[in-house]
Amino acid sequence: MSDANPKILGFLCNWCCYAAADAAGVARYQYPPNIRTIRVMCTGRIDPAFILQGFAQGAAGIFAGG
Amino acid sequence: MPATYYIDPDACLYLKHDTCQICVATCQSKAIDFSQKPIDKTYAVGAVIVSPGFGKVSEDVLKEYGYGSHPDVVTSIEFERMTNASGPLEGEVKCFNDGRHPKALAFIQCVGSRDIGCDNGYCSGVCCMYAIKEAIVAKEHDPECEISIFYMDIRTQGKDFDQAKLKAEAMGIKFIRAKVADVMNWGKQIKLTYSEMDGSHSFAPFDMVVLSVGLESPKDARGIADIAGFELNQYDFCKTDEFDPLKTSKEGVFVVGAFQVPKDIPESVTQSSAAASLTSALMKKYRGEGVVIKEYPTEIPVMDDDEVRVGVFVCHCGINISSVVDVASVASEAREFGNVVYATESLYSCSQDAQEVLKEKIKEHKLNRIVMTACSPRTHEPLFQETLKDAGLNRSLVEMVNIRDHCSWVHAQEPEEATAKSIDLVRMGVAKSRNNKPLTEQTVPVTKVALVIGGGVAGMTTALSIAAQGFPVHLIERGEKLGGNLVNIKTTLRGENPAKLLKELTAKIKKEKLVSVYLNSELQTVSGFVGNFSSVIATGKTKKKKEVTLDHGVIVLATGGTEHRTKNFKLGTVKKVVTQFELEAKLAGKGKNRAPDSVVMIQCAGSRGDDLDYCSKVCCNQAVKNALKIKDINPESQVIVLYRDMRTYGFAEDQYKEAREKGVIFVPYELAKKPKVLSGKTDVVEYFDPILQEKVTINPKLIVLSVGLVPEGTETLSKLLKAPVTANEFFLEAHVKLRPVELAVEGVYVCGLAHGPKPIDETIVQAQAASAKAAMPLVKGTVKVAPTVSIIDKDKCIGCGICTVVCPYNAIDMLKIDKKRKAETVAASCKGCGICASRCPTFAIDMGGFTQDQILAQIKAFGNLEEV
Amino acid sequence: MGKAQNACAGCTSSSDDRAGSVMVVGGGVAGLQTAMDLTDLGFYVYLVEKGPAIGGAMAQLDKTFPTNDCSL
Repeated sequence: MSDANPKILGFLCNWCCYAAADAAGVARYQYPPNIRTIRVMCTGRIDPAFILQGFAQGAAGIFAGG
Repeated sequence: MPATYYIDPDACLYLKHDTCQICVATCQSKAIDFSQKPIDKTYAVGAVIVSPGFGKVSEDVLKEYGYGSHPDVVTSIEFERMTNASGPLEGEVKCFNDGRHPKALAFIQCVGSRDIGCDNGYCSGVCCMYAIKEAIVAKEHDPECEISIFYMDIRTQGKDFDQAKLKAEAMGIKFIRAKVADVMNWGKQIKLTYSEMDGSHSFAPFDMVVLSVGLESPKDARGIADIAGFELNQYDFCKTDEFDPLKTSKEGVFVVGAFQVPKDIPESVTQSSAAASLTSALMKKYRGEGVVIKEYPTEIPVMDDDEVRVGVFVCHCGINISSVVDVASVASEAREFGNVVYATESLYSCSQDAQEVLKEKIKEHKLNRIVMTACSPRTHEPLFQETLKDAGLNRSLVEMVNIRDHCSWVHAQEPEEATAKSIDLVRMGVAKSRNNKPLTEQTVPVTKVALVIGGGVAGMTTALSIAAQGFPVHLIERGEKLGGNLVNIKTTLRGENPAKLLKELTAKIKKEKLVSVYLNSELQTVSGFVGNFSSVIATGKTKKKKEVTLDHGVIVLATGGTEHRTKNFKLGTVKKVVTQFELEAKLAGKGKNRAPDSVVMIQCAGSRGDDLDYCSKVCCNQAVKNALKIKDINPESQVIVLYRDMRTYGFAEDQYKEAREKGVIFVPYELAKKPKVLSGKTDVVEYFDPILQEKVTINPKLIVLSVGLVPEGTETLSKLLKAPVTANEFFLEAHVKLRPVELAVEGVYVCGLAHGPKPIDETIVQAQAASAKAAMPLVKGTVKVAPTVSIIDKDKCIGCGICTVVCPYNAIDMLKIDKKRKAETVAASCKGCGICASRCPTFAIDMGGFTQDQILAQIKAFGNLEEV
Repeated sequence: MGKAQNACAGCTSSSDDRAGSVMVVGGGVAGLQTAMDLTDLGFYVYLVEKGPAIGGAMAQLDKTFPTNDCSL
């Protein structure tokens, strides 16, 4: 894993952050391509186990957007 | 988009010369039958809605602009087709002359609009928007292309439309306020001669010129009008009443879309719903008698131990995805993932033929999990879920991977990384889909009552329209009487009388038994969900206020707006500075000096980049109306209107012309050189005169500000209902184009000024539209609950009750089962947030569509460590 | 046209015609939306389009203003 291109795992709330990510697309807002996202219906869904598992799978950082 | 092939009668050898017929023998499914003849059919129907659209501006008009004499003078519709990935040039804009990419592109506005030379005095109301859109698209295709838009006024008066113009300017697109006098062939190029406000003439060469053609009345307007028996207006559009905008002069015949007045898509869609409401009221006795219920094939059972067979469909979205992401390699990588038995590409996954292909492939490859790799599940998941149901699969077996909004659009400069990200997201999507399970939808009965908040023209119209369709309505109004802004508007630009409308509406409401009115009332709390809301309102005058609980199935927000009291231009401190509404009240009175000898009107005072960001849409018409009224009372009066863009769209252009003919002086200004109200010995207006090219000071008797409109009470309601508002605090519709009166919260609708500034006729239409949408759940009588709700494993549940405490929606009940406490989901209240699942100490709770297994599989696929 | 002349606004009476039916003339975005809304409100719709395909002018558009979403 290189620090210049850390792999980020994101959990996006369907109603706000996922919608915002859609809106960013519609607005052609450009951001770095090193995030991989998982849609959840609310950030309240994020079990602590998900975060631990994310790091175990090599995530350099976890992003919870809600 | 024909989904099937079609014979062009002008090219067919058989139809023209009675020969050939090769196709008949070649077609394996024997689908070509030349013996078919047109037949007349007669149907008895209860109502007719005409929506013939619009016609084209004639080529004679276009010839004036060099169309036909230079190949690279094209119409905006032709240009639109050029930029379209599924168009004839597959999205590559090239000069017809020699195939080079145009580096200098000009748009000429108002071709066939605002032009009495071709009898189209009106403004087509859409060309400014599509020109800006096409310019932005062209600039995105080729950032080096220099684009100029030649215009008279930029009329982006729609909700948040000005933002797009600002975006275009930021991208370097030039807006030139100039009349193009001549279009001339200049070798490969085209030379435009134009004159600007300061009187200067300029020439400039362009590689391509796009004519922003207006919307004419449909070619067969007369024929349609004669058959249906209704009247047309002077421009051959359908004639309607300002306060009943969709009713033609023939009873039972309604008009929608551009044939009523040229308009854009959201306005057309709104009118469609409004016409449905009017028809629904007219024919309520027959509701349900003729309907055919859609039947789905029996669901193919998908068991836990069945072989998982995943199909991956990767969408090009025209070029929206494929111009950045290597779609072919995403599909071929997907083929390698475990359980993937089929992977393919498609140009538009959401098209009708793509649905047919999807159904076929499900059958052919016995697919039982589908991964649609395309755009957002927020907009397109329902479509694919429906297709799965048609194919006999449970709707929960489709999973969407968003490689457009979250990939191609946001990583446009990094195609390789975007492709790698797409592949990762597909791997994660496939991993999740393996764990997707069939889920059943629940249905819940609906309380067949509507709640309408706000008693202005929007609220009253909605309430009456819902009642006319047969459903009871609670209409609540904060003030002590109904009417809202109708009280402040004395007359309309077309000369109609709002007071009369108010009287009629109030009388109808009084008579309508299905509408109960609550004055001096405000909403306190709302609970429940679509079909089953329960609201508490505080009603009565201060001392006698009491709380009343109302049960209802839907909510319409018609809370209105009010005049914006700007702090600039000395409003409120200098006596002769008044607003257009104050002037209107004065003009309607009998005061002696109500129309003084000199009046200066300042448009956009407080709007469009002043203290408000947006355009309020109504002020230009109001200024023209009041200017005409002043001229009517006192023809000698000198009226000067200082404006940025006169936005008298549609047929209001006629009155704008009339005002100029009657001597009203219109002087444009730019934002950087805003007029000022200065106080010295006297209070004067200082402005920059673009013809004299210098500052001018004038001391009028009256200074009138067009101040714009602001919404009322949206902030509180937005919190109560969890309904989003825009940056300008108007309610945000669920989809700007396709769901213009619905909010993101199901069962909640919006109309009138609470949605955005608009004139009375548009408010009435929107209110009628909201009444159609609001009536839909009431007509159905049940609502379906999405199966993405919590599922509780009663064996694992220890009855601790943490979930009931953390649930924000009161969607978990504690029951006694065999003397043990057990949690149970109230599916209809559950929003699927999953807080309960993540807090359950025994992992007894899982979320439909977002299970522990599904998410963990996604995380493992993210790490790529799991065997995939 | 005999039947049509006998018809009145709001009623669909004769026995061999479908009760509760409405005609929408024009299959562009306005006509399609009207037809869909009418079916959602419990009516049967005859959608009449002159051309070989529905979609009208909107089907020719690449993207739509102001968000530049795809117009399909």
